[in-house]
Amino acid sequence: MQTLTLAAALAAGTVLSAGAASAANICFAFQDLETEFWVAGHQAITTALQEGGHTVIERNANEDANRQLEQVRDCIAQGVDGIIIIPQDGESAATIVNEAQNADVPIAVFNRPPSDLSKGIIVVADNATIAEQAVDFALTKAIERAGGEPVQPLILVGDLGDPNAVGRRAGFNAAVEKHGDAVATPIEVASNWDAATALSNLEAAVTANPNIDMLFTSSDFLFPTIRSVLEPRGMWKAAGEEGHVVMAGLDGDATACSLIKEGYVDATGVQDLYFEADAALEALLAAMEAGEAQPNQVIEDPGFALTTDNIGEREMDMWGCVLLAEGFLNK
Amino acid sequence: MSALLTLEGLGKDWFGVPAVEGLTLSIAPGEVLGLIGENGAGKSTLMNMIGGVVPPTRGRMLWEGQPYAPASAADATAEGVAFIHQELNLFGNLSIAENILIDGFPRRMGLIDRRAMARATEALMARLDLDLSPDRPVGTLVAGEKQLVEIAKALHRRARLIIFDEPTTSLTTREIERLFSLIDRLRAEGTAMIYISHILGDVVRVADRVAVLRDGSLVGEGPVDDFPVPRMIHSMIGRELADVFPPRRIAPPDAPPVLEVEGLSAPGVIEDVSLTVREGEVVGLFGLMGAGRSELARILFGLDPAERGRVRLGGQALHGGPRERIAAGMGFVTENRREEGLMMDASVRDNLALAALGQFAAGPLGLVDREKVGAAAQAMQQDLRIKAADLARQPVRSLSGGNQQKVVLGKWLLSRPHLLILDEPTRGVDVGARAEIYAIVNRLAEEGCGVLMISSELDELKGMCDRIAVMRGGEITGERSRAGGYRDADLVALAFGEQAAA
Amino acid sequence: MTAIDAPAPVPARQRRGFLARLLGSEYFVLWLTVGYFLVLLPFLPTLGTPANLVNLLSNMWPLLVVAIGQTFVMAVAGIDLSQGAVMALTSTLAAALLATGADPAVLAKAPIWGVLLSERGGLLDGRGGVGLALGLGLAVLAAVAVGLMNGIAVARFRMPPFMVTLVAMMIAGAFAIWLTQSENIRNLPEQFIALGKGDIVSVYFGARTESQLPRREVYPLVTYPAIVAIIVAVLAHWLLERTVFGRQVIAVGANRRAAEISGVPVVRVLILAFALSALFAAIGGLLYAARLEAGRPTLGSGTFLLDVIGATVIGGTSLFGGKARVIWTVFGVAFFVLLSNSLNLMNLSSFHVDMVKGAVILGAALLDVARTRLTRQALP
Repeated sequence: MQTLTLAAALAAGTVLSAGAASAANICFAFQDLETEFWVAGHQAITTALQEGGHTVIERNANEDANRQLEQVRDCIAQGVDGIIIIPQDGESAATIVNEAQNADVPIAVFNRPPSDLSKGIIVVADNATIAEQAVDFALTKAIERAGGEPVQPLILVGDLGDPNAVGRRAGFNAAVEKHGDAVATPIEVASNWDAATALSNLEAAVTANPNIDMLFTSSDFLFPTIRSVLEPRGMWKAAGEEGHVVMAGLDGDATACSLIKEGYVDATGVQDLYFEADAALEALLAAMEAGEAQPNQVIEDPGFALTTDNIGEREMDMWGCVLLAEGFLNK
Repeated sequence: MSALLTLEGLGKDWFGVPAVEGLTLSIAPGEVLGLIGENGAGKSTLMNMIGGVVPPTRGRMLWEGQPYAPASAADATAEGVAFIHQELNLFGNLSIAENILIDGFPRRMGLIDRRAMARATEALMARLDLDLSPDRPVGTLVAGEKQLVEIAKALHRRARLIIFDEPTTSLTTREIERLFSLIDRLRAEGTAMIYISHILGDVVRVADRVAVLRDGSLVGEGPVDDFPVPRMIHSMIGRELADVFPPRRIAPPDAPPVLEVEGLSAPGVIEDVSLTVREGEVVGLFGLMGAGRSELARILFGLDPAERGRVRLGGQALHGGPRERIAAGMGFVTENRREEGLMMDASVRDNLALAALGQFAAGPLGLVDREKVGAAAQAMQQDLRIKAADLARQPVRSLSGGNQQKVVLGKWLLSRPHLLILDEPTRGVDVGARAEIYAIVNRLAEEGCGVLMISSELDELKGMCDRIAVMRGGEITGERSRAGGYRDADLVALAFGEQAAA
Repeated sequence: MTAIDAPAPVPARQRRGFLARLLGSEYFVLWLTVGYFLVLLPFLPTLGTPANLVNLLSNMWPLLVVAIGQTFVMAVAGIDLSQGAVMALTSTLAAALLATGADPAVLAKAPIWGVLLSERGGLLDGRGGVGLALGLGLAVLAAVAVGLMNGIAVARFRMPPFMVTLVAMMIAGAFAIWLTQSENIRNLPEQFIALGKGDIVSVYFGARTESQLPRREVYPLVTYPAIVAIIVAVLAHWLLERTVFGRQVIAVGANRRAAEISGVPVVRVLILAFALSALFAAIGGLLYAARLEAGRPTLGSGTFLLDVIGATVIGGTSLFGGKARVIWTVFGVAFFVLLSNSLNLMNLSSFHVDMVKGAVILGAALLDVARTRLTRQALP
C-alpha cells in the first residue's frame, strides 16, 4: 500500500515537472476580431496553445497599431517566453518584430506579412498556389461538362493594389494556361473588393457573355453578390442540374462551405488556418526550446482546395466549415 | 379662525449646526403672512421643510390640527402646498394649457382630450384675468404672465397654501399691481399665503401679518400695522440702520462730463437718446420693464450695435466692443449677475481679477503676477466687506446674493472706471447689504466716477441719484434733478406716458 | 412642484471631513494613482519591474501631449473630436515630406506620388536638419490650420464644438487616407525615428538570470518623447495658469457671457484654444508616428480618442468648462496609463479591459459631480 502511494506520487511529480518544462507563457496580440476569417484564426491559435498546455495572454488592439505596440511591450515587460501577433498592417508588424527581437523575445507573425520578411517567424499563405489548386479543379470539371467545346471562364478580380488580389489572379491565370486550348480567353471583371462594384460589373459582363461555363471569384465574400446576378438569369444551379455554372472561390468561409455542400460551388481555395496556427506555434516553441531569441523564418502555407470531391474527408480542415458546424451562419 | 398650518418648535440642523431653531408660528386660511429676513436667516430651510424637501430635526408641523410630515415635495403638493418661485418651473416649449395640466392630462378613449384641456385652462385663466390663448407656448410670454400661469397651475391643484418667494423681482410695475390684486382676491377666497420678499414696501402692501427671521430664529411677529419698514429693518439686521441711503457730497453742476450721449438710436430698441453724466454724479434711469433702459446700457457698453448717434467718454468718441469700452474706462454691472456678471464656480479672487487682468500682467508673454492679484483681491475684500472665507478657493456660488453683487462691483472697481453703469444693482440683495452697496456707490462718486444707475425701485433712485432720467418706449421722456425735487407721481407719469398731472 | 431651493449653505464652523478634504484636493488623482499602484504591487509584482515602469512612461508621453491639447478645449467648455484625425494628417504629411524612399508598387496610385513623394523619397529628404525641421513644421502647420478652422466655426459661427470637430474628424481623416490611398509611408529618416524612441539616458540593471533566455537589462529612462512631453507640459501649464491668455481661457469656459462683458476677447480665445488642441495633437501624432516608424493615415482612429478624453476627464478637468489644469491632466494620463497597463498585466480579456476602462471613466465623471458638490457644501 505504501509503495503504491509513493509510486503514484512519483508519477504525479514527473507529470507536473514535465508540464512545467514545456509549458510557456505566450503572448497573443491580435488586431481585431471583426471578420469571420480573423475570428476563426484567433480561435485556431488559442485552441492550439491551450492544447499544448501553454498559458495564453491575449491582447486586442482594436485596430490601433500604436495600441498593439504598447500591448506587445507590456507582454515583454511581463516576461513572456514568446509572442504571436496578427498585425494591423505590414509596417507596424515590422516595427513590432524589431521591438520584440531587441528585447530577445522570439516572435511570430501570423497571416499578414510584415513589410520586412527577413525578421521574425512569418507565416504567409501562398495566394497564387491556393488559387491555382481551386481553379484547376473547377476548370477540369467544366471541361468534362463541355464535351469538347472550349470552356469560357470568368474571373472577379480584387483590388489590384492588394498583393493578395495580385497573387490570386496569377494563380487563376496559371491554371488557365495549364489547360491550353480547352479553355477560352478569360473574361476579367473588376470588383475592387467592393460588393456594389462587383454587382454592376458582373451584371454587364454576364449580359454581354451569357455562355459562361466557369466563374472564379477572388474572394468568397462575393458569392451572395454573384448569386443575385445569376439567379434571375437561371444560371444559379446546383451541380446536378442543367445549366450549372462551375464556380470556384478563395478564402474558405462559412458561406462557401455551405454552397459547396449544396452543390452550387465546386471548389474554394482555403488558407489552411489550422496549419498556419500549428506551424507558427511549432516554429516559435522550437526557437524557445533552442534558446534562440531572434528566430527568423518564412513559413508558406500552400493551402488546399476544398472541392465537391474531397469535402468528405477535409471538411473540418477548412475554417469556414468549422464555423458552419458551430452554427455561425445561424447566429 | 382655526389655523391651516401650525409650526411647533420647529428646528433643522445641518451637520449639527442649527439653521432653524425653535420656530413656532401659524397661518390661517385667508391670511397672508409676510416672511422677511436677511439671506441665510433660515427662510429657505423653513420653506424646504414645509415643502417636504427636507425633514425637520426637531418639532413638528400640523395641517388643520393633524400631524403633517411630508416625505417628499410630491406629498406637500398633494396636501395643497404650492410654491411660486423667482425662477419659474415652467416648460417654455409647452403651451399654457399643457403646463397647467402637466401632472394629469384629461383623457378621452386613451387620448389626450384637447378640448377638455382648453376648457379647464380657460376657466382657470378667467379667474386670474389672464386673457391669452391656452395654446400659446409659455416661452413666448413675459415674466408676469408666466407667473400667472404658475399660479393657475397652483389653483388647478387646489392649493390651499401658496408660498410666494421673491415674486416681483422680474415684474413690471403694472404686473406687480396685478399680482397684488390677485393676492387680495385669493385671500378673499380663503387661500393662505406666505409672501417672502426683500422689498419691504411690498410686504407692507400685501401682508396681514409679518414674521421676521434672523439667524434661524423668529425675532419678531405681529400684525403688519405694528411693523413699519424701519422696525422690519431693525428686526432683520438686529441693529438700527441709520439711513439706508447715506448722505453724499453733491457733485458740482459744472463738473466736466464723463459720458456724453447724443442722438443715439437703434431701431426698435432706443430712439434718439441724449444723456450726460458728469464726474462724481449719480444719474438714475427709471422706466418700466421694456422701456429700453437695459438695452441702452448694453448699447453704451458696446454689446449691441447702435445705428445712429454718438457716445463719448471723457471727450473721446467710443468705438468697438466691451474690450474697447473697458479700456476707455467703462464698467457695467449687468442686471443678471448669475448669467452675465459672475463665473459662479470660479473663486472670488478669479472673479475679482477678471476685468483688470491686463493690469496684473507683465512682460511680452503676459504673465499674471499672482501675488499682486491676491493682494488686490484682499484689499477689495476689506474695502467692500465681502464675507468670504477663502478668496482663492471659495466659489462665488457659495456667497450670499449681496456678497455676490459686491464681487461684481469689486471686479469693476479694480479696473478703476470713469463711468460705471449699474443695472438693478440691488436685485435679490437683502437690506443690510443694500445699504453697503449704496455706500460703495456713493464713495465711488465722491472719488469722481460717474455712475449711471438703472433701477425699477423709485425709492432707490430717489435716495441715490442727483438726476433721474425717465425712459418710455425707447425714448427719454423727461429728466428731473434732486435740486428740483422728486415727486413719485411725476416720475411714474413720465414712465407711463400719461400727463404729468397726478 | 419641482425643485425647491437648495439647502442653505453649511456654516463656516462646519469641519470638513477627511474624505471631503481628500476629494477636494488638487492632487486627488495623484494620490489615487499612487494608492492604486501600491495596492496592486503585492499581487502584480511585474507592475514595479524596471521594464514595466519604462513601458508605463513611454506609453504616457505621447498620450499626455495630446491630452494637454484636449484640456485647453475642455477648459473653454468645448470638445475636440478631430485630434485623432489631425494626428493622422500630420504623421502622413511629415512622413511624405521626409521619407528617404518609397515603393512605387505601394504608393504610385497615391495623389501625393510625384508631388510630395517619389521613389527617391520625400520632397524635403536629404536636406539635413533644416529639411527635417521644415518637414515637421509644415506638417504641424497643416494641423494648426485644421484647429483654426475648428475654432473659427465654433467662435464666429457659434456652431457646437461637438459637431464642428466631428465634421473635421471625418474630413481630415478621409483626406489623410486619400493622400496615400490608405497606405502607410515607411522609410522615415533616422532622426525622425529617434524622436519616437531614441533614448538619451539609459540605466543598466545588470544581467538577467531567471529567464530561460539570456536577456539584457538596459532600459531607456530619458527619451526624446519624454523631453518633448515634459517641455510641452511645462509650457502649457505656464500658459494656462500664469498668463492672461490662460486665465481668459478659464473665464470663457466658466461663463462666456460674463467673460465677454468683462472684456475678454472671447472669439480670439476660443480660436486659439482649438488651434492649441490641434497643435498638441500634431506633436503627439509625430511622436506616435516616429515610434511606429511610419506615417499612418489611420493613426489615432478607433478608440484612441476615448483614451484622450477619458484621461483628461479622470484628471478632473470639467466637461462643462471653466475648470482645467495641466497638472490634473498629467495625473489623469498617469492614472489612465497605469490602469490600462495593470489590466493588461492581469491578463484580462480585451472585453473585460474595455469594460473596466469604461467603468473607470464613468466613475471619474460621477466623482467630478460629487467633488463639485462636496466642495460647494464644505465651504461656508
